[in-house]
Amino acid sequence: MATITANITLNSDITNHTISESMTMRKLGTTTGLDNATGIALKKFTSTSAVVVVEQDEVTDSKASKVYMRNSGSSKEDFFYVAINASAAAAATTETIGRLYGGDWMLIPYEGAVNLTVAPSTASDMTLEYGLFYE
Amino acid sequence: MAITTATIDITSTDLGISLNASTNLSKTGTSTGLEIMDAGYGEVTVAHGGKALLEASAVSGDRDTSNYFYLSNKATDETYYLIVKIHDQIVGRLSAGDWMFMPWSQGDDAAEISITATNGTCAYEYAVFKSAYTLVDRTA
Repeated sequence: MATITANITLNSDITNHTISESMTMRKLGTTTGLDNATGIALKKFTSTSAVVVVEQDEVTDSKASKVYMRNSGSSKEDFFYVAINASAAAAATTETIGRLYGGDWMLIPYEGAVNLTVAPSTASDMTLEYGLFYE
Repeated sequence: MAITTATIDITSTDLGISLNASTNLSKTGTSTGLEIMDAGYGEVTVAHGGKALLEASAVSGDRDTSNYFYLSNKATDETYYLIVKIHDQIVGRLSAGDWMFMPWSQGDDAAEISITATNGTCAYEYAVFKSAYTLVDRTA
């Protein structure tokens, strides 16, 4: 059994409330740690075409998989659309999760029933950092 | 201008993973910090069924596309997990003690985030960071 730990800190001067949590990634409904990870990959984009970065058949459905993504750029104008969709990721795509601007990251549980796709907002070079953790 | 910083580190000595990332949460297309934080605690039970935690724009009037959403399952029993959905699509299953953080585009009508407890009672903590709230018309 492997041990994968993920910590988050959300620090804001909007309030004095700081969110700080730690989790150990475990198999669904158990205390056994997740065993598998793809490692952290980098993918360079040079067009606005949508690309599947996590395919549904990479994991077993309805488990405790998790996906990490980060826009490794620094532009706060350019972003990646991220969507739970077989083939598309754009503003009007059902279901668009949101936009990852430069430096932004996300860590979400992943059901594994539908692909995760991304699409850059610009054809200029952009790089996505991502990784999959699964049972 | 407010400054909100989101930091993550993921480590696994077993699998040789070590990463750290940090970002300041900004208004759409700018480096100006978000100014609104909406946070709270709640409980959902199996009997509740699916509950909308955050509404789609068609309901709330908000169409901000640069929001950030945090959710933590505060249950302690490992068999108690939350199913998290956007619209009718399951994002994933959040086990007891797990958290998630993601951008959230409230820019279309399918943006509703809902949660469903699969066992017992799941306490949860959530937070949303936004640039603005659109006030709705009063009722009287």
